[in-house]
Amino acid sequence: MRTLLKIVLLSCISLSAWANEAVLDKVNLENDLKSIERGADTLMGACHSCHTLKYVHYRDLLNFGMDKQKVEAWRGDQPLDSALVAQMSEADAINMFGKAPPDLSLMVKAREGGPNYVYSYLLGYYQKPDGSTGNHIYPETKMPDILNSGGSTEGKQHAEVQAQARDIVSFLTWVSDPHEAERLRLGYYVIGYLIVLTTLLYFVKKQVWSKLN
Amino acid sequence: MPGRIVEWIDQRFPLTSFVKHELTGYPTPRNLSYWWNFGFLAGFVLVLQVATGIFLAMHYKADVALSFDSIQHIMRDVNYGWLLRYMHAVGASAFFFVIFVHMARTLYYGSYRAPRELMWWTGQGLLLLLMATAFMGYLLPWGQMSFWGATVITNLFRATPFFGDQIVIWLRGDFTVGDATLTRFFSLHYLMPFIIFGAVLIHLVALHTVKSSNPSGINLADKDNIPFHPYFTTKDLYGLGIFLIIYSIFVFFIPNSLIEPANNIPANPMQTPNHIVPEWYFLPFYAILRSVPNLVGGVLAMGLSVIIFAFMPFLDRSRIPGGARYRPIYKLRFYLFVLDMFILGYVGYVPPTTQTILIGQIATVIYFASYFIIPFISVKEDAWLFKRGLPPEVMALIEKEALDKEERKQKRLRRQGDIT
Repeated sequence: MRTLLKIVLLSCISLSAWANEAVLDKVNLENDLKSIERGADTLMGACHSCHTLKYVHYRDLLNFGMDKQKVEAWRGDQPLDSALVAQMSEADAINMFGKAPPDLSLMVKAREGGPNYVYSYLLGYYQKPDGSTGNHIYPETKMPDILNSGGSTEGKQHAEVQAQARDIVSFLTWVSDPHEAERLRLGYYVIGYLIVLTTLLYFVKKQVWSKLN
Repeated sequence: MPGRIVEWIDQRFPLTSFVKHELTGYPTPRNLSYWWNFGFLAGFVLVLQVATGIFLAMHYKADVALSFDSIQHIMRDVNYGWLLRYMHAVGASAFFFVIFVHMARTLYYGSYRAPRELMWWTGQGLLLLLMATAFMGYLLPWGQMSFWGATVITNLFRATPFFGDQIVIWLRGDFTVGDATLTRFFSLHYLMPFIIFGAVLIHLVALHTVKSSNPSGINLADKDNIPFHPYFTTKDLYGLGIFLIIYSIFVFFIPNSLIEPANNIPANPMQTPNHIVPEWYFLPFYAILRSVPNLVGGVLAMGLSVIIFAFMPFLDRSRIPGGARYRPIYKLRFYLFVLDMFILGYVGYVPPTTQTILIGQIATVIYFASYFIIPFISVKEDAWLFKRGLPPEVMALIEKEALDKEERKQKRLRRQGDIT
């Protein structure tokens, strides 16, 4: 209903109200183990020093089927049931950036636009004339341009950054809803069953009502 | 053996006769369309919500420090917890959808008219109970939208004369929405469905006294009534199948389309979301609230917009039986009203701009005007339709009703004559 409403809304609203809203790039999510593992790898290198994923445990990564050695390397001496807690303490982060870096477990679900938002945000950095970096999607951001998307705007380098961002978003999407694949699979069975059942019920109803008159 | 047990029970409890009179043999008009399936569907969704809710409550923790995490625990760790939660969340929307269709059917076919006024009013009570239950349930995930939605709505009670501020604190149990609010909302959210069950029982007792209305609006002869079983059991089950397919598409494929992204951020009393929106089913009423620039006026307008349905039996003065079927102007009013609801819903959803506020104000005026003009259009329309001529069976019914009325009046007069 809400999506429907949004479609209606976007198609008929005057542009003035949305002029300051940046247009999001569309990301082609990968949901295979390989991409998600690559995303985890990039995230552990680029994001994990500051960002926590409090609802994800190292054991979840193993259960999902990620490479045992990699998980072992990421967790170091922390227990398997420990959450993916940022390496930097929150107090240090606040000292450094002025505010605490948000938890990433639900980031994809917590933004209008979902994966497209996070992807566009990661690639939304640009060089300002004074040498500092800005972000088109979230101008107030305190996060540095960690993938160097502002500095690599063309060619092979740009494609590489895009691939990295896509992997991170694929991982974060899995993390935000780890049962999604199971849900979709179950959904086909449930709806298939219901269609058969409803068809049969239709004929039962027709048969019963034909006795009238 | 089973026969003897039933006999034993029947001597002590009217089991067989109850089942025969109220369930299997209950006389139902044969011409009911699929629009009459939605009452049964509402009952089904109520049971579904209670069933999933009971299991969710086993894993949920009502505590500002724990509730957001406990939802994630349900979504990630509990076996099929994600299914329970999505069924419950989508179920809330399904409930309102089904109830809105049920109400629209009543309005279209004039099912609120004599002798079914009490059905309509108990239904109105059920709508209010449902809204309260849904509103309190929405606080429980303790997300940003939960917190700010509850803050905005409890704040409306400030409009109460004399004790406004005290009432808001009394409702919240604190100066702001906090732990005390969360625990009481959880407690009441668990209680209300059982009150709804009781109210549904009253709704059904009333139904079984006056029986179902039907699309023609004409009281049917006995030969046109058929037993509920097997005709309507099969029809209701077929309708349920269709409903479940649509419901499952939402549960399994687009469950997050009904959850605001901001509600995946834990409640933060220090930071207001950019744009506070209620759930879709409250949007038209929310738009009416925002259309009135002053708080007391807005609250009154919103309150009236929800309970105005209850006035329908008084507003509709038409002598032509049924609803829109024989009454083109009433039909036009009905469709305009539905369109107006959609416009209000849209206005309630978008961030307010001068343009949308103006649209909202016009739509609010149309909303109320569409009710206040009913007495006038029903009288004018009657005059016009009688002049133009109505189908003979409708005319016969109107004449019969006039005769009945006259007879009742004579009887009353005679009784009064006896006393004096």
